[in-house]
Amino acid sequence: MDIDGDATVEVTPEVRPTRPRRYDKFMYDFTQQSLPSCKPVLTPVWVISTFLLMGIICIPIGFVSLSASQSVVEIVDRYDIGCIPETFRGNKVDYIKDGSISKNCSRSIEVPKQMKAPIHIYYQLDNYYQNHRRYVKSRSDKQLLYGSKHTDTACQPEEYSNGFPVVPCGLIAWSLFNDTYRFSRRAEELKVNRKNIAWKSDRDHKFGKEVFPFNFQNGTLIGGGNLDPNIPLSDQEDLIVWMRTAALSSFRKLYGRIEEDLEAGDIIEVHLSNNYNTYSFGGKKTLVLSTSSWIGGKNDFLGMAYICIGSSSIVMSLIFLLIHLRTPRPYLDTSYLSWNW
Amino acid sequence: MKKGWKAMTGSRSKFGGRSGESEDGGDRPLVDRHPSRTVTLGRVQPQAPGHRTIYCNDREANAIVRFKGNSISTTKYNILTFFPKGLFEQFRRVANLYFLTISILSFTPVSPVSPITNIVPLSMVLFASLLKEAWEDWKRFLNDKTINNTPIEVLIGQEWQNTTWKDLQVGDVVKIKQDGFFPADLLFLASTNADGVCYIETANLDGETNLKIRKALEKTWDFVSPEKASEFKGELQCEQPNNSLYTFTGNLIDQKQTVPLSPNQILLRGCSLRNTVYIVGAVVFTGHESKVMMNSMNVPSKRSTLERKLDKLILTLFCVLFSMCLVGAIGSGVFLNKKFYFFGLWDPNLRPEFNPNNRFVVALLNILTLITLYSPIIPISLYVSVEGIKFFQSTKYINNDLHMYHFESNTPALARTSNLNEELGQVEYIFSDKTGTLTRNLMEFFKCSIAGEVYGAGITEIEIGVAKRSGVKLKEGISSTAIREKGFNFDDARLMQGSWRNEPNPDMCKEFFRCLAICHTVLPEGEETPEKIQYQAASPDEAALVAAAKNFGFFFYRRTPTLIYVRESHVEKMGKVEDVSYEILNVLEFNSTRKRQSVVCRYSDGRLVLYCKGADTVIYERLATGNNEIKKTTIEHLEHFGSAGLRTLCLAYRDLSSDTYDKWNEKFIQAKSSLRDREKKLDEVAELIEKDLILIGCTAIEDKLQEGVPECIETLSKAGIKIWVLTGDKLETAINIAYACRLISNDMKQFIISSETDEIREIESRGDQVEIARHMKLTVKHMLTKSHEEALQHLQTSSEVKLALVIDGKCLMYALDPALRVTLLNLSLNCTSVVCCRVSPLQKAQVTSLVKKGAKKITLSIGDGANDVSMIQAAHVGVGISGQEGMQAVMASDFAIAQFRFLTDLLLVHGRWSYIRICKVVTYFFYKNLTLTLIQFWFTFQTGYSGQRFYDDWFQSLYNVIFTSVPVLVLGLFDKDVSASLSKQYPQLYKEGIRNTFFKWRVVVALAVFSVYQSLVIYKFVAISSSTSVDSTGRMFGLWDVSTMAFNCLLVTVNLRLLLMCNTITKWHHISVGGSILSWYIFSFIYSGAFVNKGIYGTVFTLMSTGYFYLTLLLIPIAALSFDFLFLAIQRWFFPYDHQMVQEMHANETDISSSIGLVEVGTTQLNPEESRRFAMARLPREGSKHTGFAFDSPGYESFFASQAGVLAPLKAWDVARRASMRGRKKK
Repeated sequence: MDIDGDATVEVTPEVRPTRPRRYDKFMYDFTQQSLPSCKPVLTPVWVISTFLLMGIICIPIGFVSLSASQSVVEIVDRYDIGCIPETFRGNKVDYIKDGSISKNCSRSIEVPKQMKAPIHIYYQLDNYYQNHRRYVKSRSDKQLLYGSKHTDTACQPEEYSNGFPVVPCGLIAWSLFNDTYRFSRRAEELKVNRKNIAWKSDRDHKFGKEVFPFNFQNGTLIGGGNLDPNIPLSDQEDLIVWMRTAALSSFRKLYGRIEEDLEAGDIIEVHLSNNYNTYSFGGKKTLVLSTSSWIGGKNDFLGMAYICIGSSSIVMSLIFLLIHLRTPRPYLDTSYLSWNW
Repeated sequence: MKKGWKAMTGSRSKFGGRSGESEDGGDRPLVDRHPSRTVTLGRVQPQAPGHRTIYCNDREANAIVRFKGNSISTTKYNILTFFPKGLFEQFRRVANLYFLTISILSFTPVSPVSPITNIVPLSMVLFASLLKEAWEDWKRFLNDKTINNTPIEVLIGQEWQNTTWKDLQVGDVVKIKQDGFFPADLLFLASTNADGVCYIETANLDGETNLKIRKALEKTWDFVSPEKASEFKGELQCEQPNNSLYTFTGNLIDQKQTVPLSPNQILLRGCSLRNTVYIVGAVVFTGHESKVMMNSMNVPSKRSTLERKLDKLILTLFCVLFSMCLVGAIGSGVFLNKKFYFFGLWDPNLRPEFNPNNRFVVALLNILTLITLYSPIIPISLYVSVEGIKFFQSTKYINNDLHMYHFESNTPALARTSNLNEELGQVEYIFSDKTGTLTRNLMEFFKCSIAGEVYGAGITEIEIGVAKRSGVKLKEGISSTAIREKGFNFDDARLMQGSWRNEPNPDMCKEFFRCLAICHTVLPEGEETPEKIQYQAASPDEAALVAAAKNFGFFFYRRTPTLIYVRESHVEKMGKVEDVSYEILNVLEFNSTRKRQSVVCRYSDGRLVLYCKGADTVIYERLATGNNEIKKTTIEHLEHFGSAGLRTLCLAYRDLSSDTYDKWNEKFIQAKSSLRDREKKLDEVAELIEKDLILIGCTAIEDKLQEGVPECIETLSKAGIKIWVLTGDKLETAINIAYACRLISNDMKQFIISSETDEIREIESRGDQVEIARHMKLTVKHMLTKSHEEALQHLQTSSEVKLALVIDGKCLMYALDPALRVTLLNLSLNCTSVVCCRVSPLQKAQVTSLVKKGAKKITLSIGDGANDVSMIQAAHVGVGISGQEGMQAVMASDFAIAQFRFLTDLLLVHGRWSYIRICKVVTYFFYKNLTLTLIQFWFTFQTGYSGQRFYDDWFQSLYNVIFTSVPVLVLGLFDKDVSASLSKQYPQLYKEGIRNTFFKWRVVVALAVFSVYQSLVIYKFVAISSSTSVDSTGRMFGLWDVSTMAFNCLLVTVNLRLLLMCNTITKWHHISVGGSILSWYIFSFIYSGAFVNKGIYGTVFTLMSTGYFYLTLLLIPIAALSFDFLFLAIQRWFFPYDHQMVQEMHANETDISSSIGLVEVGTTQLNPEESRRFAMARLPREGSKHTGFAFDSPGYESFFASQAGVLAPLKAWDVARRASMRGRKKK
């Protein structure tokens, strides 16, 4: 009847050889809630030293990052308005849509500081919602990799054109950016390397080596750039860069690199063809030339953030230290207790 | 025969008072006007009309009626119904239903996320729940199978044949051997014992382990052998199956003779046979129709207050969700414009959600889109996690706590539900029963009064306390003449060793002792010597009385159904010992309305005597006239005993002439064989003979305070808990007990509202009920308002003064009137302690719900007896004392502990920790999901309100179930603010729970602010810092790189934030936090390396190849958490919580191992390691990890299962049985 075992009153502890001692000890500690633990108490000393430590860590990192960012030379040139002839200023959309007008445009830029190669060429678009839900999903990753058999309805309305599948399909590819830039210094052409601008994983694994553009931009509406149907997608780096959609509505994309140093005071002539329509939705187009450091492009934010956090930590630490020294909270001041002793 | 015994002894010397309203029967759980749940044990369902006729030993004849078979099934599901029914059960939870809706939505084109995002977490949650269900049901199935296949011997033809339980049919004649279980409800035909009796144990039914006698009808005594039994062709007419365990009405028609049947001939399924070689019985009710099965049903569980608050939080989250969606929807309607030609809005197949021509539809559909997108704001795994944590807390912590393990009775604490753990940390009012809860319920015969003479020189603890208060010093110490044994603690040489013959009234003494020795329902067990015999009694009072008789020289040693054997010594002259047998003619059993018990016996010389014992009120009503002197002095003695805290009973006898008896007996037999209202008729018949009694005297039994009760009460009241004692005792006793328990002290202002005033008595004596009621009401109203005003005055003048209220049941009845209720409540809430005396079970429940509903405070009721059931059910938390008495209280309770003092551990340690933990878990869930969703929300603004998702599907779906799930479980299991010993040392810490410090809106709002801040930091920092190229190659990040980066930072931040919330950090914290972050890296490596056609492809590798990644990963968590850290520092520095102060005061102390002091029993030579193991080994082993939270199947089934090797669910009554087993097993 007595199924649950009775009180064993014998003195010898019952030894269960099948279980290791550590397990027993753990189970005891677990059920009696006495697992070994440390009890961090946020004492004034801890608070002060933690803040101090945070400051000590963050400020140097901040300065290093900031100086890396400061060493980057960046030239920003917005050209979408400047490249429109005076006569079309009031009617930019007509200008850009009119195929008969030459879109060539020249701009000259002065190099403020010496720029060491490689100098990255970016185009920056603003108010361009590459991250809109309809836009983002209007692509077929399978088609990009395996070819037209994998055309996806997600690509609508750029899925089929004239009864044939479009490769690459979808709105993203269709709206491919197609401004082009050439640079010259002192009438001498600067070579622009347009290879290796896309991430390796995209080139190698996301865009097929056997997939060629087909039936692209053959519809009634032309969105953007065209593609050479003889070059496989994996080598169409412009497309690859474009199709790695940006996170925000204002973004830069790598165009190419100038592999020559530029000296301070150099005047760079930019010959661009202003093809891409950002005028209908009020977008901006900007050309950016930038060197890079280990931290990337010119971005003071990280360094500033580190310095801010670090210095405010130090300030906090000092404030607490002052409070602690002037009117120390008695460590065991029971008057803080809510009950009376 | 046991039920309600307590109610009787509890009513004590209640002479003069009316008994009707104050003690109205404790045997049936009285249902409150707002019953929170029902317990069916003992509650009678309305019977189906008619009766059933059974032809014993005749399968063909019975076949026509098609009785149900004996196989049972307690499973909830079968293979076919498992999925539909199980899923249905799951989707009855609102959270699951919500996520189902979201999942369905995510299949539609409006969804921005792939269905995976919502399906995966939902299915994982469902899978876990269903798995648990399936496993439990499988256990039940195995249990059922074992039970159904238990072998049984059934009579076929002329011999016993082995068959299984499930093949039994109504009418079969079966044979059950010793220690066997009855397979169905049986009609007891014959037994191997003489006189056709057998002994049964009903532990599985009601937890009572004392043996009970069942007696077969004389007609059927010879059907023992199979040859004889096969001749039996009786026809049985009986009631339809019902769930009343203690009643049975039926007739046996055999050879044209009708014989009435009583519960005495019925052996219920689930009971077991004892002290009998074998018995033969006929099957009456089978399978699900047996009484025990009809009693089993699910008990709806209580929900904790915190959980209800949680619902409100979830509701708020819904509101937040909808406002976020609304913002997004309006934005999308405004934003969408044809000028964004690259959206392809000229598309002829354009879906309405993008059609700028109908912006209203766009906004409307976008709401659906955004709901799907923001759905993780409701934490899906919250409920599962909290349930899991609570399950561990109750099964691993509470049930195994050595501090709450009562070694003497081998009883661990038992959490019968895991819903209410955190409720234990917020209790503000405790309603306690007295007898068996505050006191030990180990009854000791202490004093008596025989024929107007007091015997017994002992002094009770309460008397000592009273004396102390009045400044008199009483000498404590055991006198040399005192005799102590179980149930007997009597110090008076005048009655011992036969000296009573020299007393003024030796004949009365003799009657007194005989009455003690004869008039009872005790069963002797074991060797028939005074030293070794064990008395099995329904209540400890009875055993104490019989033990007293033994010590006075009237040793009751054997009982047969008709005879009681008493070894009488010193009757005529010293040293003479004589075995006398008394024929027991009738037993008029005890019940709570009668409050008395009588036995009619015949001496060997033919003298017919009725012995009666019972509550003073009922006995005095039935006394013969005359003898006023004795009556008067006895009343004085009764009152004296009562105020000393003793439990009193009056003893009386009556000599009967054989004429009178025979006439009466006829009526008695008639009543006994009636099929309808038998109990009522029996009571009426008993009235006829229980009159003209001659008072012998009274007994006084001491019920000692339980160990540690005063200390426990002091600790609890320091913790801000107010303790109310609700007792059936009379006023003086109650006050005395309250003093002894330190509930009331002399420096308290006492308000006593009592009906025992001369004025009321005078009006009562006039007998006009209407007038009495009117006057009582007025008086009570007057007293209440006066007391209330005084109380307010006292509180205004000085905050130091403590108030106490004492109110008796009769006044309470009027005070609970809706008109006075508010005053009563206001008055009593201002009092630190309240004592309600002479209250009925129903009033106990009313008082409890008055505070629960009227004051909206969290209440706990603790009690041990059947009369506490209603109170236990009415309170937020019900605690049962699993000890001496039956198991009804435990079975109705949520937690069962062995001793009142364990409440300290249960509330101050387990409750408090559980509350803090659950609060932290819930708020953390809230925080982490809000942060996740807010980042998504900020992103929405950047995407033209299109509802583009920011996170990858799988990242988002695994966020709750994998990447952040384990650390919070560790927090919920291991977090301790201060150690257990400090929790008890500083009971004031408990007030944090009463004030609900950790789950206020303020706390939630503060966390929400941090959540907003952190999400902004994470989102903005990542967005801004990735706006230029991130490495020296000059390449740019895309959407998925940025989102992965942000997700990574979020994950690290959220996991580290958890560590900031912890009061203790074990290695499991490190492992779980580290493991969670690591699991994300491992997952993302595999995931972003394997799926080429996903946006996420290669992002992690790309990210990790840049220095930017590491810089940001360091910066963002620091930036995000520094604000939190600052807040925590300021809070602790300037506004520390109490527990934080205690932490600081004891920061340098190592946690003294809590087991010290527990293992001192002869184990001094053990090293700590061994003593730990020893302590654990002593805890009763769990049968399995499964615990049935509800009465899903009768407990006895686990016995079979365990014999067959199936580990069955641990049932409440297993523990209950174990609790009461200890007496018998120690040999």
